[in-house]
Amino acid sequence: MQDRNGRPPRNDAPVASLPKAQLPKAQLPKAQSPMALSAIAQQGQRLTAVNAAAEKVGVHAGMPLADACAMYPSLLVAPADPQADSAALIRLALWHQHFSPYVRVDAPDGLALDITGCAHLFGGEAALLKDMDRRLTGFGLTARLASAPTIGASWAAARFGPQRLTLVTGETLHDQLAPLPVEALRVDASIVALLERLGLRQIRDLLGKPRAPLVARFGSPLVERLDQAFGKAAESFSPLSPPAAYRAQLRFVEPLITLPAIERSIGRLSEDLAGALTKAGKGARKVTLSLFRVDGWSQALSVQTSALSLSRDGAHLARLLCERLGAVKADAGFGFETASLSAFSVEDYDPHQEDLKAPGIRQESPDDLERLLDRLANRFGAGNVSRFCPRESYVPERSVRVASALHGAASHDWLAHGRALHGGDQVARPVLMFVAPEPVTTLSEAPDGPPIRFEWRRKSHRVTRADGPERIAPEWWRKTRGESRQTRDYYRVEDETGQRFWLYRDGLHERKDDAPRWFIHGVFT
Amino acid sequence: MSYAPAHPFKTVRAPSFGARPAKADLAGLRRRFAAGGGAAPHRWPSVSLGEAAIDDALPGGGLATGALHELAPFSQGDLAALAGFSLGVLGNILRIHTGFVLLAAPDYHLAREGMFYPPGLVAFGCDPDRLIAVRAPNSKNVLWALEEGLENNALAAVVGILPENDRLYDFTASRRLVMRAVESGVTALLLRSGRDNAVTTAAQTRWSIAAAPSAAQHRRGAHLPGLGAPQWQVRLTKIKGSAPKTGALGGWRVRWDDETFYFRLAAAMADRAPAILPAFTPANAGPEWAAAS
Repeated sequence: MQDRNGRPPRNDAPVASLPKAQLPKAQLPKAQSPMALSAIAQQGQRLTAVNAAAEKVGVHAGMPLADACAMYPSLLVAPADPQADSAALIRLALWHQHFSPYVRVDAPDGLALDITGCAHLFGGEAALLKDMDRRLTGFGLTARLASAPTIGASWAAARFGPQRLTLVTGETLHDQLAPLPVEALRVDASIVALLERLGLRQIRDLLGKPRAPLVARFGSPLVERLDQAFGKAAESFSPLSPPAAYRAQLRFVEPLITLPAIERSIGRLSEDLAGALTKAGKGARKVTLSLFRVDGWSQALSVQTSALSLSRDGAHLARLLCERLGAVKADAGFGFETASLSAFSVEDYDPHQEDLKAPGIRQESPDDLERLLDRLANRFGAGNVSRFCPRESYVPERSVRVASALHGAASHDWLAHGRALHGGDQVARPVLMFVAPEPVTTLSEAPDGPPIRFEWRRKSHRVTRADGPERIAPEWWRKTRGESRQTRDYYRVEDETGQRFWLYRDGLHERKDDAPRWFIHGVFT
Repeated sequence: MSYAPAHPFKTVRAPSFGARPAKADLAGLRRRFAAGGGAAPHRWPSVSLGEAAIDDALPGGGLATGALHELAPFSQGDLAALAGFSLGVLGNILRIHTGFVLLAAPDYHLAREGMFYPPGLVAFGCDPDRLIAVRAPNSKNVLWALEEGLENNALAAVVGILPENDRLYDFTASRRLVMRAVESGVTALLLRSGRDNAVTTAAQTRWSIAAAPSAAQHRRGAHLPGLGAPQWQVRLTKIKGSAPKTGALGGWRVRWDDETFYFRLAAAMADRAPAILPAFTPANAGPEWAAAS
């Protein structure tokens, strides 16, 4: 079975750190002064969480705010912010990924880690729990930790166990779970209330009871949860981020703060990961670097490679990652204690023999272009490095599809596309096209002819040559939003200096109801 | 900076970097410096632009590949003409080189002046499949992308567009491009949008491009004549290594031949306005008139 553990604070704890960020520093209370968080509930303001000192004076979560203030007038109260709490919890969960890649959030206040095969790296389960506790206490969190062979048992032991740190093993599972209250079984509050009304207060009261009446009375979830807690039924664990098949990790004795040190560790990680991929005959399309800070933050940087072979080039990976480090530098804080590099989208890859290279002769190696594309996409974003593909549409702005260059080259028959578009008149399309057509004011001799004069960007042009019209109808089968749905008549015009423009009239002049407007859509040479 | 000894009894020696260069190396270095800079001498072929008059004006009988060429508009309205002429040059380079083309431009410039439109590029011999377009946030990044591209053997050429108010492109920046171009054999075309190109650069050639009226295609029954083949007024304003001259080194009226994908000299009188004749009087009339009357 698997080992799990959870970090859930009970209602004496959760105030401690997560919502602290809401208060200005000067207002931060000392640990001793009673403090509570409140939120609007059904019957007015109620406390959602209190700290240990507040509990000592008799204030508890769920109490109406007015009652609490009456009991203890100097109680510090701050509004609860559940969204920030859950964001902080996710952040903490991500940071816990340096213990194990399988981490999930048990809302609202817990984390679960699958530490199968990880505990020995930290000196065993007991040592791992102690290490986590030390760190969490260092962050200012009051945490309860438990390690158990099943998800259900660790959940129960962490929340309802007698001590703050609980280690449950396969042998002690039964004995340690039996005295816990039925709430520890992760069942609905209504079932708990029903059980308690019947005098079934502890888990041991349910053990050995006939199953059929239990199912008939309380439904199948209760029995299922019971089985899961004792390892008689399977339970799946879905981690926060997808697990990586190939991962390289480095832990540092002293936290890294300086950029050269981080770069060097990235170099080593890249070589490790590239080596592992090469050995396995795989290649990856995406590589993610995670940096774990000593104070509970983590940062992730992803880079994409356009060719599988490039993920096996450690120097290339390191170069891509180091170029992105600028974002991390500002957030180094007290330094990074762990760095890990994970490979995603892993695929089989068969290496090919490299060509012999002769000096002085232009010769491209197959990866050269991909290397360049990776670096460009890394710097400008994959959407800003593009290739062009033809698309079967007569509407000029739709007849070309812009695709990310990372998806590999393809060959298209642009001549055939051109023939389909404009009958092979090669100069019928502009060299530069505007993203959005710009309105122009025109003066025409005939309503159906080209303009003899037009003004664009505050400059007047006298038309001396014109070709057209080329009529392009809208695609009625396509749903458009905000676009003009009118037929366009395109004209190629040239002014007296030889500058050429692609103008169109939006709408037909024959129709009474639409007033034709003129636009410029591109410029020719 | 002086090399005076810091202490009277100690002599400061110039730093030595390992072994002295061998004689052959020195000769090679001398040749390299004689060739006009630290770079290796040219070993890349030249590309014919299709017209003997232009090719003859260029050293090597054509446009040098593995070099930096600057193209600028003659006036602000000539950006489209500049783009078209550059594409024609690029098409000629692609004729002899395999590989891709990197097009880099600042995105705000593209938003204002328009994007390259692939169906329109085919007419200039540029296969859109071979283009990789990069939209950079500013001209600094355009220059970075060009440098990266020039180091890459998979490319045939890089084309960079610099915005009008660019201040970053200077001699050093051009030198960085040239060094990489010479090393890899990739040709760099730099399209400068501003007219002011007085700044000295290390480019091999510099061109100034203006739009020119095309030959009118007269048709029966039309108000206006149709458009002819694109034409440019091309001025070659700099060739590296040739004697500095005032004005243009060469100027041609050029048209694009979209059948052969080459530049041709435009016929000088293709669209001439009718010559203004002196007013008719019997005095200046010919002898036939006198005989008839």
